[in-house]
Amino acid sequence: MRRALLLAGLLAALVAPAAAQAPPNWSEDEIRAVGRHGPWPPPAVRDPSNRVSGTPAGIALGEHLFNDPRLSGDGRMSCATCHQAGRDWSDGQPKGIGTVPLDRRTPSLWNVGYGHWFGWDGAGDSLWAQSIRPIVDPREMANAAARVGRLLREDGQLACGYRRAFGVSPGADDEQLLVDAAKALAAFQETLVSPRTAFDDFRDALVGGDRQAMARYGASEQRGLRFFVEAGNCSTCHFGPRFTNGEFGDVGIPFFVRPGEVDSGRLGGLARLFDSPFNLLGRYNDDTTGASARRTRHVQRLHANFGEFRVPGLRQVGRAGAYMHNGSVGTLEEVVRHYSEVSPDRLHSDGTPLVRPLGMSPQQSTDLVAFLRSLDAEPPPRPAPPPLCP
Amino acid sequence: MKLGAAIFTFLFATAAWANCPLDLGRGTGWVVFSAHYMIAFRPDPPRIEVGEPFALLLNVCTKSGRPAELVGINAEMPEHRHGMNYRPGIVPGVDGRYRAEGLVFHMPGRWELSIDVRDGEETERLTHDFIVK
Repeated sequence: MRRALLLAGLLAALVAPAAAQAPPNWSEDEIRAVGRHGPWPPPAVRDPSNRVSGTPAGIALGEHLFNDPRLSGDGRMSCATCHQAGRDWSDGQPKGIGTVPLDRRTPSLWNVGYGHWFGWDGAGDSLWAQSIRPIVDPREMANAAARVGRLLREDGQLACGYRRAFGVSPGADDEQLLVDAAKALAAFQETLVSPRTAFDDFRDALVGGDRQAMARYGASEQRGLRFFVEAGNCSTCHFGPRFTNGEFGDVGIPFFVRPGEVDSGRLGGLARLFDSPFNLLGRYNDDTTGASARRTRHVQRLHANFGEFRVPGLRQVGRAGAYMHNGSVGTLEEVVRHYSEVSPDRLHSDGTPLVRPLGMSPQQSTDLVAFLRSLDAEPPPRPAPPPLCP
Repeated sequence: MKLGAAIFTFLFATAAWANCPLDLGRGTGWVVFSAHYMIAFRPDPPRIEVGEPFALLLNVCTKSGRPAELVGINAEMPEHRHGMNYRPGIVPGVDGRYRAEGLVFHMPGRWELSIDVRDGEETERLTHDFIVK
């Protein structure tokens, strides 16, 4: 009897770790949940509020402007200074650096065209409106509409590119030219779509029932993915093919940017949105149907917006140099630890909190990181932009 | 489900409500009712997607046959005690019909839609649950 118990104990000891290492069996509900994170890539972006969105001439002008330091006040900083192609369209720094050090991390531009709110606080309701902000912000590129207008009128190549994109020569209205430059910049940024990943191959195989293809995705990644969509509840906010619902949340990161000064996040972002002459309710929206302005028309400013920041997409997340809106977390492992140990006292919630300490085991943390890293892929090299008017 | 259908058939057979048009087009939608109100509604577009704006087309009827007013519409996730990030706008149509614009369910899960209607001085809230995936 004692020998039988010993044998049973030994078998259990052997089987238990093996089970922990095995890939999960996927239920119908789980397959459906994983399926919602694809397919990838989605159809190309066409923004109805931007008449050059998706047009080759608009994209070409936008790429030239994106790399042109003359778009800044002192001629030393282009969009590409902070949004570097070789650094996944960010700068690798915990916080951005403009004419002065900034309080937030430079967000990556991967898949930015699929969003509906832009910037960490969502002060932009279109990618073109958001593209105006750093150009004229004195802390960033510190330029003005008059200088952007003059550049488009006086530089032969840019003026030619403008004519091809917009069908007319650059006019005398500087603010209109600033908006048009931003629309071309947006058209270019809409093309920055991250490549397919190991996760996408697994997701398609899982949905299609291709067990052979499924087996090529690691067991740790599969366990991490299951935790992501089930126990971790991560996909409630990191929803859909981009792994973001595009809205805002407070995940327990301190509000203070320095003693006595807070970053109010979405609350301040909404105030700036409503004050902006470039929002989608204004005269620069090219969409005559009004449909593109629905969110702006109906969004409400709530006390709960204080300290909320945009839920970032997770594609290419492992390639980032820092994490959270303020770059206060250095590695993906530390991000997972944050969600495992986040203080419930810091998160005010009357009901079941969306963010709660997950209390993850070391194995679960390792698996979740493995899954998140499977959302990364090496992008193909980018060719130099074609000349605007050869 | 059968019980609901039986109750609905009984209520629909009640004289005044028999004149309440439930078909809002496309042959899809829901009906909620109380002792005094019956509201038929359907989303536009027909499928509600997480994070995507949608409208509701509603038809508000009363048992007495008097016209009723749709005074408010909102939704929240009861488990998380948070509402929508958007405030819907109500556009009255004809014959007790309304269009509520600007709803967005920004997370998957259970959303409770609340519909506030008024007939004279009396205001009443009717609710309906959606599971959005």
